[in-house]
Amino acid sequence: MTLPHSVLKISGLTIESGPQFETGLTDVSLELNRSELLLVHIERENERLPLADAAEGLVMPQRGCVLFLGEDWQAMSVDHAAAQRGKMGRLFDDEGWIGDLEVDENVMLAQRHHTRRSDGEILEEALGLARLFGLPGLPRGRPGSVRRWDLRKAAFLRAFLGQPAFIILEQPVRGVYADLMTPLLHAVQSARQRGAAVLWTVTDPQIWNNPAIHATTRARMFGSQLEIVPEAL
Amino acid sequence: MCPSSADIPFTPAVAGRPRQFLARVGGWTKARWCSIRYLAAVLGTTLILGSQPRRWRRTVRSVFARQVFLSGVESVGFVFIVAVLVGISVVVQLDVWTAKLGQSRTLGQLLVMVVARELGPLFANFVLIVRGGSAITAELGIMKAGGEVRVLEAQGIEPLLYLVMPRVLGMVVSAFCLTVIFVLVAFGSGFVFGAFIGQTNVDPSSLLNSVFKAVHPFDGLGFLLKCLLPALLTAVICCTEGLCVGQGVTEVPRAVKRALAKSLGALFATSAVVSVLSYL
Repeated sequence: MTLPHSVLKISGLTIESGPQFETGLTDVSLELNRSELLLVHIERENERLPLADAAEGLVMPQRGCVLFLGEDWQAMSVDHAAAQRGKMGRLFDDEGWIGDLEVDENVMLAQRHHTRRSDGEILEEALGLARLFGLPGLPRGRPGSVRRWDLRKAAFLRAFLGQPAFIILEQPVRGVYADLMTPLLHAVQSARQRGAAVLWTVTDPQIWNNPAIHATTRARMFGSQLEIVPEAL
Repeated sequence: MCPSSADIPFTPAVAGRPRQFLARVGGWTKARWCSIRYLAAVLGTTLILGSQPRRWRRTVRSVFARQVFLSGVESVGFVFIVAVLVGISVVVQLDVWTAKLGQSRTLGQLLVMVVARELGPLFANFVLIVRGGSAITAELGIMKAGGEVRVLEAQGIEPLLYLVMPRVLGMVVSAFCLTVIFVLVAFGSGFVFGAFIGQTNVDPSSLLNSVFKAVHPFDGLGFLLKCLLPALLTAVICCTEGLCVGQGVTEVPRAVKRALAKSLGALFATSAVVSVLSYL
């Protein structure tokens, strides 16, 4: 699959804060091309931002637009928008598991829904990722009965499974920095090499300044406003 | 967004009581009308989606199979017991009284009218509402309150396609199977019990004969409408009530209560309407 050069383009986006979010977005503009990584520092007191949801076209903006692979979310049909979201991988800030499915079913759900790949093929890819993140296999059992540590690793598998064109990592190493940073950087590097764009949010300034992440662009959220840092650190 | 009757602005006191009353009645009617239109839209979309083979992806098929298992297969035992009891009480009584009145020839017709056309669909759907409907509302309500619906959307999985459509159609298939089981078991148990206590006046072949003779093509249509329509409405009502839950899990019990009340209302209303239409 050949991806367009621009994976995500946000222009003048304004979203009011609602009950779901601690703050909104005001006049946010950014562009993320193939193989690029945008590292966004967000304030601890405003952790719940609509940035990831806006990138996925899940929240209706008051002003501005969001283009994914060159198409405006608002102009897409419901079916097409769902199919486009199937090309994304996301690590949710709250991990986001379907309680009624086992963890392995959760991990493979989007691939099973959007693609015609065989279950065996999806499982094989998932097991490869599991080994990368230090899991002996896919965790079995409902999310409520699986250890938090394994759940976090499984969340990484889900985000990278299926070679997504765009990966959203919402505070991926919160609380698990030391053990997961290395495999995560490896997975991010591999994804970028095949052309995926990555949006990575952090609250920890130490991670934001980490040169090992090799961010193409760094940005900071101040309240509802995004400020792009001119030069990579 | 549909307005509820509570959203209708309170008419000033100077307007007088009749106008206040009319405003409330109007508000209530408007809210009900909006609610019915919304349900009809969800129902129509579900049926259209369900009729398109490309929508039946493996994930959707899994949910469908699970729904048939949970609401259908797991309810078979309960429906069986209820059908045996109904068979004993209704079929035997009809058998005894038609014999006493010298109307044994009408037994088949009465059985078709009472058990197959009325009681079967009614009881099977009642069981479905209690066992399947409440579970659907609670499950979807908890998913909505816990942010799981948002997680599905974020993965490009449409809630209507993945959560609603297979549940609705699973409930419909379950309703049909449970009704057929109910009718067969009620007939069988009634006849066996009658024979056991020595009250059955006809032999099995003539009973079956009279039943089949009493069945008209129109009965088949009435039977289908009575067993499938309430199941469709129940499933759509329960799904929409579950997905209307806001951010708090505490809203789930209230949603279940509303869903059960509406589903029961829909069951008896459709049953009555189809009955009336079938006799016109």
